[in-house]
Amino acid sequence: MIQAASLLAAEEGANPLIPHTYELVVGVFSFFVVLIVVGKILTPRIQKTLAERTEAIEGGIQKAQEAQEEAQALLKQYKDQLAEARHEASRLREEAREQGAQIKAELREEAQAEARRLVEAAHAQIEADRQQAFAQLRAEIGRLSVDLAGRIVGESLEDEARQRRTVDRFLEEIETTSAAVR
Amino acid sequence: MSTLTLLASGEDQFTPPGLELFDSPPIIAGVDWFTKPVLLALLSTLIVVVFCWSAFGNPKLVPRGVQNVGEMGYMFVRDQVARPFLGKDADRWMGLLLSIFFLVWIWNLMGVVPILQFPVASHIAFPIVLALTIYVLKVYLGIKHQGAIGYFKNMMFPPGLPKPIYVLLAPIEFLSNLIIAPFTHAVRLFANMFAGHIILAFFSLVGFWFLFEKLTPLGAPLGVVGVVMTIAMTGFEMFIQFLQAFLFAMLAAMYIGNSLHAEH
Amino acid sequence: MSEKKIRPEDDGRDFASAAWSIPSYLLSGMILYGGAGWLLSRWTGVVAFTPIGLILGVALAVYLVYRKYGR
Repeated sequence: MIQAASLLAAEEGANPLIPHTYELVVGVFSFFVVLIVVGKILTPRIQKTLAERTEAIEGGIQKAQEAQEEAQALLKQYKDQLAEARHEASRLREEAREQGAQIKAELREEAQAEARRLVEAAHAQIEADRQQAFAQLRAEIGRLSVDLAGRIVGESLEDEARQRRTVDRFLEEIETTSAAVR
Repeated sequence: MSTLTLLASGEDQFTPPGLELFDSPPIIAGVDWFTKPVLLALLSTLIVVVFCWSAFGNPKLVPRGVQNVGEMGYMFVRDQVARPFLGKDADRWMGLLLSIFFLVWIWNLMGVVPILQFPVASHIAFPIVLALTIYVLKVYLGIKHQGAIGYFKNMMFPPGLPKPIYVLLAPIEFLSNLIIAPFTHAVRLFANMFAGHIILAFFSLVGFWFLFEKLTPLGAPLGVVGVVMTIAMTGFEMFIQFLQAFLFAMLAAMYIGNSLHAEH
Repeated sequence: MSEKKIRPEDDGRDFASAAWSIPSYLLSGMILYGGAGWLLSRWTGVVAFTPIGLILGVALAVYLVYRKYGR
């Protein structure tokens, strides 16, 4: 290449490998104009914009991530609350059921006690009535018996004491016979 | 290249284009320095500045229009050029690398823009300016970050080699790193654009010559081939132009990276 | 190689460094030792020094590349 070029240069007088001075000057001028405008002024601008863009994109991603995390936290919170509410509800239900059972048991007991009380009262009443009826009956029977005996015998049993003794004897007799019969 | 010497003087004979392609007379008579490559270099600077200003002048968080296109370029340089070689230092050098990439690409693209059709980098002065800037920066950064002695020691005496062999290898390292590498950095770009321009000029001249200048039944198919090849090679050149701009910026990033941290 | 630093970007960087340094090293080796051989040939008149120098230069460059980037 070099040889060929120098050969040609010898023949033609214009060696393409020898730079023209004015072209060097113009070359330096154009290069440094480009270097200052493109290299020194414009490149920092586009670099700044690119950096900002990267930042914006990364910021956007971060923001989205934050939003997602927030949503996740919220969801978790809701779920927790829901679970808590469910738990609470079931607890309340359980409690109510227990309370209900207790109330039922209490009521039943009360009712039974009441019933027992009523039965006892009835028993007592009946006993009292029986006693009273027995006493009345006893007096009535005595009077009737005396009347009957007086009428049958035809004699007036004026003597009170005798009369009473007689009646008592009579009644005792009846009682013992009824007891014996029984 | 030997075909270039076949420059014939006859008017009725097809003459392949040669080095005269790169001779550019002053556009305005009397103003010697104002030639086509100079005009295109200034125009490229204007294009890069205007494009970058409309893309990055007032950047929005949500990009639209030109900013989208500009950001594609920025991302490409950042992810394919800066980060692989500079790692965490990538952002600090993006200004330089972005300027180099855009400027070289537009320089190269001038080669396929209709009417203009001249790759600025095919004049070696322009690649030299960039390569020399990178070279100075590379040596400066190397000395700053590794110390004057450390820089040359790391460069010329890579660890892990048997001691006596350093005598033989250190000169190779020196020559390679400080002379050949920057030289090829500039020449690679220059040579690609130079050759590409000659190829495009050759095929378009074939098409023009055999279809318009000297239309003959025998020559016409050749002219058609020339036109087809011109179109195909234009597409290929656009790929090469992009690739060379990328490579130039990538090598710059590599040199800077190697100066910031010793290679091993 | 034992002092190689572990950095995440080391892989791509090493590969590209190697890919773009190899031609440069080969060229340097050839120019340096080929040139030295050529000078020796000029002084001693022994033509063989030039190809010997070229081959030595390439061999040294290949060895250097192998030790730096190989393995």
